[in-house]
Amino acid sequence: MVVGGGMSGLTAAVEAAEIGAEVYIVEKRPFLGGRVAQVNQYFPKLCPPNCGLEINFQRIKKNPKINFITNSEVEGISGEEGNFNVTVKTHPRYVNDNCTACGKCVEACPTERENDFNFGMDKTSAIYLPHEFSMPMRYVIDGDVCKGTSCNKCVEACPYNAIDLNMEAKNTVFNVGSIVWAAGWNPYDAENISYYGFGQYADVVNNVMMERLAAPNGPTKGKIVRPSDGKEIENIAFIQCAGSRDENHLHCCSSVCCLASLKHATYVREQYPDAKITIYFIDIRARGKFEDFYNKVESEIGLNFIKGKPGEVKLDNENGKLIVHSEDQLTQTVTDEKYDMVVLATGMAPVTRKSKVPANINYDEDGFVASDSGMPGIYAAGCVKHPMDVASCVRDATSAAMKAFQSAVRGQDNG
Amino acid sequence: MATRLDPNLKNELEEFGVKDLEKCYQCGLCTGVCPLSSNDDPFPRKMVRYAQMGLKDKLIASPEPWLCYYCGECSDFCPREANPGETMMALRRYLTAQYDWTGISKRFYTSHVFEIFSVIGFALLIGLGFLLFAGSNPDMQQARLSTFVETHVIEYLDILMAVVLSAFLLSNVYRMIKFQMGDLLQKVPLSMYMSEVKELILHFLTQKRFSECSDKRMWYIHLLIMTSYTLVFLLVVGLLSGIGGRLPAFQTDEVRSFFHIYNLIGYYATFGLLFGTSYAMIGRIRKNRAIYQFSHATDWMFLILLWLTALTGILIHIFRVIGGDGMPAATYIVYTLHLMVAVPMLVLEVPFAKWSHLAYRPVTIVVTNVKKKYENSIKFSTPAASDESQSA
Repeated sequence: MVVGGGMSGLTAAVEAAEIGAEVYIVEKRPFLGGRVAQVNQYFPKLCPPNCGLEINFQRIKKNPKINFITNSEVEGISGEEGNFNVTVKTHPRYVNDNCTACGKCVEACPTERENDFNFGMDKTSAIYLPHEFSMPMRYVIDGDVCKGTSCNKCVEACPYNAIDLNMEAKNTVFNVGSIVWAAGWNPYDAENISYYGFGQYADVVNNVMMERLAAPNGPTKGKIVRPSDGKEIENIAFIQCAGSRDENHLHCCSSVCCLASLKHATYVREQYPDAKITIYFIDIRARGKFEDFYNKVESEIGLNFIKGKPGEVKLDNENGKLIVHSEDQLTQTVTDEKYDMVVLATGMAPVTRKSKVPANINYDEDGFVASDSGMPGIYAAGCVKHPMDVASCVRDATSAAMKAFQSAVRGQDNG
Repeated sequence: MATRLDPNLKNELEEFGVKDLEKCYQCGLCTGVCPLSSNDDPFPRKMVRYAQMGLKDKLIASPEPWLCYYCGECSDFCPREANPGETMMALRRYLTAQYDWTGISKRFYTSHVFEIFSVIGFALLIGLGFLLFAGSNPDMQQARLSTFVETHVIEYLDILMAVVLSAFLLSNVYRMIKFQMGDLLQKVPLSMYMSEVKELILHFLTQKRFSECSDKRMWYIHLLIMTSYTLVFLLVVGLLSGIGGRLPAFQTDEVRSFFHIYNLIGYYATFGLLFGTSYAMIGRIRKNRAIYQFSHATDWMFLILLWLTALTGILIHIFRVIGGDGMPAATYIVYTLHLMVAVPMLVLEVPFAKWSHLAYRPVTIVVTNVKKKYENSIKFSTPAASDESQSA
């Protein structure tokens, strides 16, 4: 069983299935693809993520050994290597296989919800398609806001009998040999960083929101503008290590944020040839081959680097700009620069920081699953283990698939 | 000018209480969150850097430690838990020892044995003085201090002590100015300093900069201790015999009315000192603020001596007036104890340790102002030079 249908989970599932294992993917969200589906472009090649996902989706569709269930979470694990009983709770989707994603239901739906796919920067109706490339390509109803059978408008509008508002959550028990835990990551909650004004000022966004703002299928159709008033950007700041490498927040370096901000700088430059782009940094961590990307971006697009971790972001009430208060270590001065928008390079918090694996396994101080999970048969893969970029996730998931395969075989031999 | 690195600086600083220096990764958040740090004198990161690098000369010439009032926000938010606030505190101890030419300060701060024995030694010396010279026939019916010690003798000794301690302190202050001004010492005209006298007095009396901390409570507490101390100091040193009788004498055998101005000042000062020092001691035990997280041995010594001084001070008053005739024996003993605590505190703390900040802080503010003024005047008088500096 693979828990998590993001890049790591998909890779682990495909790799394990292609060497003969029967695989179940359990995904919490109503679609596969995870965080990668929300990314505009990968660094360093700046290609869109859909091609990578598309290939994996094809491999899943064509391989009868892979089954996946969305809207589902693991509630309990019992047993041991080779013979686990995993209880999976599936939340109601309220939409069945008949759905053709025609969209007639949306026209009928009177209720709106915050679009979590775009981090609340826009809204969808209560019945919605998670995104254009959603896998499965089926609508879903947000049970928290849907008025249910008392409204019933979507049911009446659907020509295919695809909507069933009486669907209920159900538990299923799977018997599996081993488990790959690839639950992924959440952006670190920047509201915890009291001095940066995230959540307080609309124009302070985090880096994953920036990804959505730049994405053609995002809330602004790919146009990077100030979230507060839709104005164009003249002056934008990136604050690195916002909540990372910090004893009060995440201890670790998230390893991708420097590259992500450099990548975001290319998004901005493409749309605004004259905008001033400033990166506040402690040190730019572009490791190994990524240094080429750093050199390329720095020399080609014109960036302003300030060495110093800002101490405060506040709003200038006169013109609605954000003031970033920081030391500039090279000039040994304290600067107050004004920006239209501030992007916090927030780090990766493992999903296991908040929702633990329902088994007795080891974690580090930030909640990442320890390299030695302490439980034979359960293997973490990808960003739930430590922060990493997509390519590293693919490599890590492949190795986890191998370990899980061996473990299942070993467990069954011993049992 | 060549920059000299002192590889032993870190070890030396640790003796003064610098901790976790190596944890700092120079992000500069501390400077960013500091409400007191300004464009011209950004701190504390720069000071931590100097300390890490062993830049002793630069540290000694730095005014920044005296411009910091330890609000503690830097330490609270520090991503590395490197306690930059405490580093600044310890640097103040270190600088105090550097300014002091006698070497007493350094020994006081770096040796527990010296610290404890110097206090006890001084106390015993005072006790011995009373044993040898105090009145041979004190009034045991009614508490009359004049029959125990003559007020004018104590007053002479008071003034002598004030003169000697001021001389030590001022010589150290001069050394501080020399370090901070560097090459500018000879260039800046005296008038420029004189124009800042008002600032000096203002900062001396109000510690205005302290109020710029986001949490003003520590400033209030400090102000309470400082005003209490200053008022009672004026009474004890300036008005002990009322300037030869021209004003009412503070030390008298009369029982004054409760509402007598001296009594009111005394009660205020007793409350201020006992409350302020107790607040700080409880804070240091509970470690409830960044400023109270770490306590150097001399922090405790200072608080305990001040607390005891206030306590014995008010006890003299109580024993002297209780029941009309007072309790003579208790009065004389507590009077002796009072001086056994107060004198060592003043002698050691004023020129050589914590009390010296009463001079170093306001003087540093003036020195940095003067330096800025002078540099600006140079800039404007020679436009070519200013163009150059701007283009650089």
